[in-house]
Amino acid sequence: MVKFFQQRHSFDYSWGTVSYAFLNRYPNPFATHVLTADTIEHRLDPDTGALHITRLLRKTNSVPRWARSIMRGNDAFILEDVVVDGQSGTLVSRTRNITHTRLLKVEEKQTLTADPRDAGRTLCKNETSIVSNIGYGMNSRIESFSLSRFSENLAKSRKGMLYVLDLAQRRGLFRQRLLIDRRAEQQ
Amino acid sequence: MESIDSKCTPLKHEFDACFTRWYSEKFLQGDKTNECEEAFKKYQTCLRAALKEKGLTKMIGEARPTVGSAFADDDGDDGGSKGSK
Repeated sequence: MVKFFQQRHSFDYSWGTVSYAFLNRYPNPFATHVLTADTIEHRLDPDTGALHITRLLRKTNSVPRWARSIMRGNDAFILEDVVVDGQSGTLVSRTRNITHTRLLKVEEKQTLTADPRDAGRTLCKNETSIVSNIGYGMNSRIESFSLSRFSENLAKSRKGMLYVLDLAQRRGLFRQRLLIDRRAEQQ
Repeated sequence: MESIDSKCTPLKHEFDACFTRWYSEKFLQGDKTNECEEAFKKYQTCLRAALKEKGLTKMIGEARPTVGSAFADDDGDDGGSKGSK
């Protein structure tokens, strides 16, 4: 069984702010299932100037009751590859689970691009692919579960992003105000 | 955010703080000098030992056979399974 989902939306913030918030989105109150996050790779591509980041996320394994017997209670590990091109204003994030892959492979691609018509807006595209090989008549259940989980997760991650965006903006304003105060003091 | 091993959390926070500052003040302004290399190396020394201890190195290595992978080079509790895909 292979299933694809796609959704587009936008944020009313500049791409710089959105990409910053994306890279700093954990922890937030809408992502309490994310327990730990570690950067295992961080480098600048000398040819393209793009920033490559790989993260290892540990999440609680919140599967539905009917799937608990086949999925052990261990935490789930997710790998996230992010490529940020500052020149074109593009951030592409790819995540996939690296545990429980015999049951379910979930890959998610998120693309954040600066809106060419509005510098204060960022376009966001989410693509998710779910592959399951469980069989035993479970596939339709998995399918409907994953569809509801997909929209649930998207709504949650969007709320989390908005929370972090608000924080980032306030912090940015705070820093600007500090600089202005300092400049005023020096004069 | 906590590291997978609480031992590494202080080093992770140091790197995160450096990265966050560098990202907004340098990278987004077009400056491509990597300033957080030292903090990253210290954090990685701790993290790699922790991942090895938890038996996760092999799983990560197999999940990402990408060129330039941080796990494609040296430390192996992976028993030479690398590139076996």
